[in-house]
Amino acid sequence: MWRNYGASADSFYQVRPECADDVPETKFRIKVGKTLSSRRWHAAFTPEGYLDIGKILSRVCRGVRESIHQLEVKFGSSYWVVMIQRAHLRNESNYDNVGGILLSLLSKVHYAALKEECRVMFPLIGSGRFISAPVITEDGDPILDPIVLQELNAAKEPTSVGQVGPSDGFELVKEHDKKVIQWKLSLHQIGLDVIRTDRTLVFYEKQENLSKLWDILAVYAWFDKEVSYCQGMSDLCSPMIILLDDEADAFWCFERMMKRLVHNFTRTACV
Amino acid sequence: MGAYRADDDYDYLFKVVLIGDSGVGKSNLLSRFSRNEFSLESKSTIGVEFATRSIHVEDKVVKAQIWDTAGQERYRAITSAYYRGAVGALLVYDVTRHVTFENVERWLKELRDHTDSNIVIMLVGNKADLRHLRAVSTEDAKAFAEKESTFFMETSALESMNVENAFTEVLTQIYRVVSKKALEAGDDPAALPKGQTINVGSKDDVSAVKKVGCCSS
Repeated sequence: MWRNYGASADSFYQVRPECADDVPETKFRIKVGKTLSSRRWHAAFTPEGYLDIGKILSRVCRGVRESIHQLEVKFGSSYWVVMIQRAHLRNESNYDNVGGILLSLLSKVHYAALKEECRVMFPLIGSGRFISAPVITEDGDPILDPIVLQELNAAKEPTSVGQVGPSDGFELVKEHDKKVIQWKLSLHQIGLDVIRTDRTLVFYEKQENLSKLWDILAVYAWFDKEVSYCQGMSDLCSPMIILLDDEADAFWCFERMMKRLVHNFTRTACV
Repeated sequence: MGAYRADDDYDYLFKVVLIGDSGVGKSNLLSRFSRNEFSLESKSTIGVEFATRSIHVEDKVVKAQIWDTAGQERYRAITSAYYRGAVGALLVYDVTRHVTFENVERWLKELRDHTDSNIVIMLVGNKADLRHLRAVSTEDAKAFAEKESTFFMETSALESMNVENAFTEVLTQIYRVVSKKALEAGDDPAALPKGQTINVGSKDDVSAVKKVGCCSS
């Protein structure tokens, strides 16, 4: 996992050169014997490709408390749980565990279905674009903000990343479903925070990564209507999409983490 | 840094709140005023943050305790605690996003519902450096401020334009309100104004006059 012993953990996330002065360097350094190395990690797998969780957990418990703490600070408390579970799932699906494969497929299908539901409600979902201006009033009337219209029109152009069809026009009709209104009200707030999340990282110089973060948070807001979106969630979701290439994986890891942190984000908790 | 460090020796402590829609630049206004810093990569504010800075008003040292909060509706649950004891407010909108100006009315109502009627309010149109993106005219904002009897200024936290002026003006106005009250009270303690007042010297109040004899005697 770690390439450079003695290097700062920050070296794994490329910071934009012009922001180098603004980013404080972490005190956490990768130490031989104290940090879980890629060699140790790979050695924990059986020849059949199964992860010996006991072996790795005892290693984790014995010597790397500090590392975990530091990783938790950076990535949230579910980091190891998620990584280990993912490794386990991957092993199972690589070999003969049909259940594992199905589970993995199901999670992807489930995410795709959720995302499609959202795209039908608001065609910018999955289009590679996103908005940071309100699209709806609390009464359900659509808002014709020039910034929103510009993004919507751009998304419809054939050169755009997404597949917004001609039937998916942004219809300017009053929305009556309270759940849909609530969800649409969250979209611009997510956009406003996406453009302010980890902006010192090279990763977010790519528009596609910004819209990926927006997509996942928007889908989550629909998936968990009680929590919806609350400021702070973008910072927690960000490491997931940096670490995991697959958007569905990133979503479910974020969802799992939110299960443990949800009490921080309910409507009565922000007091 | 040293020039901005809050000195513990002050005559007055005023609590000032920053309010306005998410992303209008409240936190950068605060960092520009309190530390002379601005960041293009700043994160959204979670919950409440605050910073202090002391300035001189006439011959007094006025320490400003400035509260900054998340603009998201969800965080409105903290409102009453956030506004408690505030004697000044900067109501910020973004001159490039008209909707943030439209919401000023709501913010003003919330502010007036939760604070003393003597509170000093300044309407602040931030991001004035983005001239080509301007969506709110200075005239409209000025007219609104006049109608609502608030002060008004356009600022740019990025270019450090008017930030110092905006805060200093609010603090000076608060100083005038408070010192006038102290004077009135000093003239005739029995003639304290009735009804809502800025609770100068009150124990549960954050803003307080530290060394004014009238209240302790």
